[in-house]
Amino acid sequence: MSDSLAAALATLKRRYGPKALRRGGLAEVADVWPTGVPAIDGVLAPGGLPRGRVTLLLAGTRSGPSGRLTLLQSLAALASRSQEVGYVDLAGTLDPGFLADLGADLDACLVLDPGAGRWARGLAMGRSLITAGLPWLAVALGAEQPRSAVWEHALTALVEVVARRGAVCVVAVPAPAAAPLAYASSLTLTCAAMGWQRAHGDVTGLRVRLTTTKSKVSTPGVEASVLLHYPRTYAAAEVVGLPAVLVPPVMVSTEEALPRLAGMPG
Amino acid sequence: MRILCARYRHLGLVTALRRFAELRGEPVIVGGAPELRLPVIAASPAAARAGVRPGQPLRQAQQLCPAAAFVPFDAAATEALRAEISARLHQLAPTVEVSDEEALCDLSGRHAAYPDEGAWGVAASRVLTAVLDADPPAVGIAGSRFVARMAARESRPGRLRRVRPGEETAFLAPLPLAVLPVDRAITARLADFGLDCLGAVAALSPAELQRQFGPAGMEVHRLLRAQDGDGILGGAVHRVWTECVVLDPPVAELETLVAAARRCARITGDRLQAEGLSCGEVGVTMELEDAPAVAAAAVLAAPAGSGAEVWTAVLALLGELHPSAPVSALRVELTRIAPGAGRQADLLRPGDAARDSIAAAATRLRTRFGEAAARRPKLAVDPGDLPERRFVWEAPVAAGAVR
Repeated sequence: MSDSLAAALATLKRRYGPKALRRGGLAEVADVWPTGVPAIDGVLAPGGLPRGRVTLLLAGTRSGPSGRLTLLQSLAALASRSQEVGYVDLAGTLDPGFLADLGADLDACLVLDPGAGRWARGLAMGRSLITAGLPWLAVALGAEQPRSAVWEHALTALVEVVARRGAVCVVAVPAPAAAPLAYASSLTLTCAAMGWQRAHGDVTGLRVRLTTTKSKVSTPGVEASVLLHYPRTYAAAEVVGLPAVLVPPVMVSTEEALPRLAGMPG
Repeated sequence: MRILCARYRHLGLVTALRRFAELRGEPVIVGGAPELRLPVIAASPAAARAGVRPGQPLRQAQQLCPAAAFVPFDAAATEALRAEISARLHQLAPTVEVSDEEALCDLSGRHAAYPDEGAWGVAASRVLTAVLDADPPAVGIAGSRFVARMAARESRPGRLRRVRPGEETAFLAPLPLAVLPVDRAITARLADFGLDCLGAVAALSPAELQRQFGPAGMEVHRLLRAQDGDGILGGAVHRVWTECVVLDPPVAELETLVAAARRCARITGDRLQAEGLSCGEVGVTMELEDAPAVAAAAVLAAPAGSGAEVWTAVLALLGELHPSAPVSALRVELTRIAPGAGRQADLLRPGDAARDSIAAAATRLRTRFGEAAARRPKLAVDPGDLPERRFVWEAPVAAGAVR
């Protein structure tokens, strides 16, 4: 390296900070939040969901269930057991009772309701909380999508704050994902429903295939399936004449689910 | 810790005499018309000499002092005066507690402008005299809240009574039992034992006091040893910082207005930064030539504590203002001023201070966007059949705010 080039690099680093220039082979290893779900931590996003990045849970189809919101709420419930969680409910579908059934610590959950369709406000509210120290943010976007020019700036600001504070930010998006969202995402998991899981005629869960359609933290194109096990209520158990057992909220990979399903009566 | 206590006339009486200046020097009773079944709130010295005391029924006060003028209590004016006193004293001391008849200031440490606490106390006394436009207050300075209050009680208007460290017990010794802020039954029982002054009680061992009166006995012991840890209950200060630029002649060019706004934002922001404060609300007002002023204000998503942060907020507000005439003055106003955010170690409280910070941010969001903007769900104690009855919503509260 010539002296003039070294001097120029030193000037740039001094002026814009040490992170302004990096050698290609020294890319930083993303810090992760382990979900505890083998299919996610082991296959889709090695180690867990990336901190300081935005993770998209994208619906695989334009209509019908995809499981992205259930997956988002399950992840939020998992996170709430160890840290403060914010949930921006732009989809208007959050039932805190369901969150509690999933095992969430409601004392650690903060629900933000910016109003239907107010994406910019919702993203700005999430940004405020992350700036204040919120380590985990879930954003559920609704099907009604405002013009991207309205909320693109708020999204950019949110991404910047998430990166600066090292927060986990998971966004559930209906299909198709708007261009700014797709661009902002470091990890995009496309959720496609594979079918209902039934027991005794009741729906007990949803099998979902997750595909990493974009990943800056691992290899894209990887697939895995998870079983989103719906928490059953006592009333439902009584109807089918089963002992009143509240099934703990679990998300397991298909490989784990199969023996469990095999053991189920009926 | 060094605490200053300044005793002055009841603020209700001060506001009444401001309103009815012709009653100065006359017997005045604040509380309302004597026909009302209300207590006396304050009485002027002339009325007090006739035996009128706060708390007496107004009808009894009328019998004691028939010549007195009865005036209603102006709560709003009194509150405004209390806020003004608090704001002025906060310029002298970091923690201030103001009530209707006394003000307490924390004089711990040193003040750059005053060589010792005596000069510091005199400055506080002058401030109170100027604000109240009345007789100077009686000031006491001591190492605990109780002793400082007693020192002010023993002082006279315009005088300052200092109780040096180590002299508290000797100072309190000759005072009567009635000054103790404890249940009257305790003082009556102490008197039954033949104890007629605080010095006699101070001679008792803490074990004896505790045996007789339980925790209240220990509280008496701590008060007499100047070990009461009550300190000062400093409340939130409603401070408004304003910076104004007068534009003569009035201007309509955007660049000039932006430059003026930037100057105001920089000055106020630098002042915030210098004093370690932050503001939660920013307002911009443009006074127009031959037209009503236009103004805009916003509660900030995050408190601003520097010139750059204030400028960001001001810039957003400038976009909302559409002046219809040339602007003759531009004013930037900062409110909700509070100590700047900082993190402290959580030694004994579970969790992290970040939780408080998050709750504070959520509270700001609620202020800005409505009560429903940020809430915490909580499972209902007695849920019904409907899903929406399984939980209730609660406002997020910082852990430190829960008592």
